[in-house]
Amino acid sequence: MDEKRRRFEALAMPHLDAAYNLARWLTRGGAEADDIVQDAMLRAFRSFDGFRGEAVRPWLLAIVRNCHRSALEQRKRHAATPLGETDDTEIAAEGPTPEASAIQTGDGRRLDNAIAALPEEFREVVILRELEEMSYRDIAVTTGAPIGTVMSRLARGRALLREKLIGRPA
Amino acid sequence: MNCEQSLLVQAYLDGELDAVETLKAEQHLESCVECQAMAADHAEMKAAMAGATYYRASAGLRARIGAALDAENRSDVVKEFRPIRRKPGFWLGAGSGAGGMAIAAALAFLLFLPANPLINDLAAAHLRSLMAGHLIDVASSDHHTVKPWFAGHADVSPPAEDFKAEGFTLVGGRVDYVHGERAAVVVYRHGAHIINLFAWADRNTSLPGTRSRDGYRMIFWKQNDLDLAAVSDVDPAELDQFVALVKKSQSRE
Repeated sequence: MDEKRRRFEALAMPHLDAAYNLARWLTRGGAEADDIVQDAMLRAFRSFDGFRGEAVRPWLLAIVRNCHRSALEQRKRHAATPLGETDDTEIAAEGPTPEASAIQTGDGRRLDNAIAALPEEFREVVILRELEEMSYRDIAVTTGAPIGTVMSRLARGRALLREKLIGRPA
Repeated sequence: MNCEQSLLVQAYLDGELDAVETLKAEQHLESCVECQAMAADHAEMKAAMAGATYYRASAGLRARIGAALDAENRSDVVKEFRPIRRKPGFWLGAGSGAGGMAIAAALAFLLFLPANPLINDLAAAHLRSLMAGHLIDVASSDHHTVKPWFAGHADVSPPAEDFKAEGFTLVGGRVDYVHGERAAVVVYRHGAHIINLFAWADRNTSLPGTRSRDGYRMIFWKQNDLDLAAVSDVDPAELDQFVALVKKSQSRE
């Protein structure tokens, strides 16, 4: 094992679960999360020589996010998607209906469904903050959005999630 | 949430504030009913989120990534072939009669590997590109979009013209590593086949000409201070036609 590989094992590999968790939530439980994470880790390794940042996790998660984006782009091109169909309609179709939520067994499952039904821009900040417990600054690095945008998306995401869970506007 | 201070209070609740701003947020919270309600919601949400699923990478995925990282290291790839050479039975059979030719071919293949890291890199990069999600970093059939993208991401400016009329459709570009260099890769589609056009800076190293590896044909040439390689499994005559088109378009630049 050479020096680069040792550094990568010591600094990046400890964040593999974080990478996978983000990929699973971005794909809403899709089986393609494995491919996205493998692609991301390989890309991270290749550009690891050039990595000069102080925090590995936000950088690595940014790569996961980019890989998810390009996989999504590619799937969209290959699938014969009717014009005008956007990601949001996709979310609305896949999100749980109020009836479906009500009959879910156990709070965890219902909570997972409510998070999965959030539009992606809100879902990713909620996951990075609540599950990864990342700072606003690190979330900004991962999502490429300014800190002010991270803060407002987080507020909106939490409000939406609350609305979905208790069934009325917060 | 209508209170102007709500984001400040949220940042306070998330532990993001310094001492001065913390005091400001606490003073505001004492008098703002709306933000008090938000603080209660925040605590409730935090407790609830503990019940959300945290997905962990499987042992299988971990192993696959380990193997992919091993494969990145060229010396490790060569090592994998050594046990074959050491097998005594292999050598006993090698000396005798009709098997000789096949053995010689296999041996040539083995010796060929370490001597041509460039071909290994291109074959590996081409195979990787055919896996889902690896093909394209910038997706576009418009060379006006692809070309500037390379200006920001690669060390060289590759030819990126669309040859749709001739049956070779420009689908995008990406950056890959070839022979330790960052190469610009222009991606074309021809029917069901993918053609990867690699371009990297000419460092006055000699190029192999035309080669085949794992069913993929590679054509190498130099033009306009670039080393270029077209890799694909299209019909050989069609790959020749594609290379001729690229050469022609590049000579106009």
